[in-house]
Amino acid sequence: MKRHSLGLFAFVLLLQLLFANTLCAKDVYFDSKWTLWQNADILIWTPEKEPPIDPKEFCLSLKRNNSGIGNPKCRLFGEWERDSLAVRYANWLANNMEPGLDAHYLKARHSSMAAKIQAVEDKIVLFIADKGSSLQIAIFDEKSSEPRAAGSVPKIADKIAQGDEIASTFFDRHTKRRLSKEERLKMETEPDDLYKETPNFRTWVGVSAGYAQAQIPLTPSNWYKRRVRSHVGNYRVTRDSVSLWNFIDDSTPLFTLYAGGIWFGFIGGEIFYRYSNHDVKIDEKDPVYEELDHWDFTQNEIGLNVMLSRTYSPLKWMDLHLFAFLGFQYSFYSEDIELKDSKKKPSKEYETRFKTEDPYKGALFGFGTQCVLLEHYGLSVRTGISSRGKDIYTEPSPEAAAEPTTIGASTVDWFISVGLEYHWTPFR
Amino acid sequence: MARLWGTLFVLVALLFTGCAESYHWSASHPAYKQAPYAEISLTGLQKAFVLTRTKWFANRLGYGDSTQIKATEFCSKAMEREFRGVYSKITVLPDSLLDSAPEESQKLDERIFMKGKLPEQGIVVKAPDGTTPPQILIIHEVIVGTDLKRENFFDYALIHNESEEKREVQNISAIVSYTLWDNLKQRALFSAVDEIQHPVKALSEQDLEQLMRQTVQQIRKNLYLGVSR
Repeated sequence: MKRHSLGLFAFVLLLQLLFANTLCAKDVYFDSKWTLWQNADILIWTPEKEPPIDPKEFCLSLKRNNSGIGNPKCRLFGEWERDSLAVRYANWLANNMEPGLDAHYLKARHSSMAAKIQAVEDKIVLFIADKGSSLQIAIFDEKSSEPRAAGSVPKIADKIAQGDEIASTFFDRHTKRRLSKEERLKMETEPDDLYKETPNFRTWVGVSAGYAQAQIPLTPSNWYKRRVRSHVGNYRVTRDSVSLWNFIDDSTPLFTLYAGGIWFGFIGGEIFYRYSNHDVKIDEKDPVYEELDHWDFTQNEIGLNVMLSRTYSPLKWMDLHLFAFLGFQYSFYSEDIELKDSKKKPSKEYETRFKTEDPYKGALFGFGTQCVLLEHYGLSVRTGISSRGKDIYTEPSPEAAAEPTTIGASTVDWFISVGLEYHWTPFR
Repeated sequence: MARLWGTLFVLVALLFTGCAESYHWSASHPAYKQAPYAEISLTGLQKAFVLTRTKWFANRLGYGDSTQIKATEFCSKAMEREFRGVYSKITVLPDSLLDSAPEESQKLDERIFMKGKLPEQGIVVKAPDGTTPPQILIIHEVIVGTDLKRENFFDYALIHNESEEKREVQNISAIVSYTLWDNLKQRALFSAVDEIQHPVKALSEQDLEQLMRQTVQQIRKNLYLGVSR
């Protein structure tokens, strides 16, 4: 959009240049982003005996050319026209302004002159030097001791037309409201909006909902295909028993309750409880399951994370904490199985169905972000990989052969969750 | 551990030498279009010269207690002679012309600043005979010594470094900072700091003269090379 309007602007400018048929076209050498104030105070400073424009008429030109300028005040800058140092610099400037010279080549070198420029406060100094067929124009404000803009406009005998020419070349820009003295003083002493001290300790509680599955994103699905597609035959038979995902469904919703704290916005910890429910992947075609109403496992996990964090404050009312975490967890599975009402006595296979170990130990790691609004209300997103397993290398015993096989010795899944949190800083 | 420190030291050394090579020792104004060819006005010759390691020079030149004065005078004369030799018309302006001018620093590079008096904006310098020289070559400072490096004098990050005492003198050196001044428009057309080394076995006045000859040649060469294209 901006580019289009720029293009249009350039086109209109070109048309104007063509039709205006000005022999000595105006030329802006450079123009920094100087601020044009509403109700601007404009001081006209010229080394010439007779100013090329009339201050009162120039004010009217400004109003005609820039509707946002309000009621500008214009006057000749007599203080500088009487000052020998300023006169010298004015003569020098008139002599030295050329197209192609950057602002820093036109700097006021004398420290007293630089101080004078910096003391004009929020007034605008309009320098005009007569060059015969054209006028050299420079604009100063208190921000620097070099001109903020410079250029030349064709010289016109009519002072009103001359004022219009200058106003349209240099003062055709967006205006800003001038601050009062008190406002300026306040702005100078006001602390930075984004200045914030990191609390020594910040803590939070949260609840999150998410999703977990065996396949880790960006990894090929054939790593998991065999496990994900396997079914439990005869209440206990699968191809292998290394992963729990051979027995129960891996992709389920996940709910978490957690509480954590962080020191100096850098290192912290989190304790959590996670809940999910997994159906057993029974082979529907197997007639042995006809007696079964439902069979699933509830996965309850508790664990502890260590986390490292870094805080950014993109907005005054928003903190963004990026973090990575590493932790361990214990997983407990509780079985929920029921036969159909019509079935009084379960089958023999039912009695010898597979059992889970209690508990599984595992690790988890991942990363996430907490977006805290108004210091208290957080929205958190996190993702990671968690594992659960059982030490399979136990001491061999004479009964080993008779014991049931350990299932789920190495089970990994990926999770993602979104949480709502409440943050506070307990010790101020 | 020692090896680690050694490696680090080498890396740091490389870093520093890398920086040293990237210095800019001169600056040209965009309006500097033509180097002075036959005619030149000079100022600064009376006060610009400084001799370092005076004792070393005193032992060899036989000037006695007034080595500082005599040697700088000799160099000043030699430089003026040399300028007269290469430019057909020379006007030597007295240093007092710039007495009232403020001292300013000119930036040549990120860390290189040269200091010197420059006429004020809006003030045209007039020669004692009433003429107005269009351009003036202002010699700000000529440091004469042994094995001098210009970065030790002009890089503000290195200025406070103590230079190591060298047993054997390889060269006598001159470091000269100068500005070609546009007197009509009061702007610095070309500013530079040059370093000239002249190998020396047994020091004599001829060596000093040779050093000044090389200095003038270097200034002249840089004035040509510095023209903005």
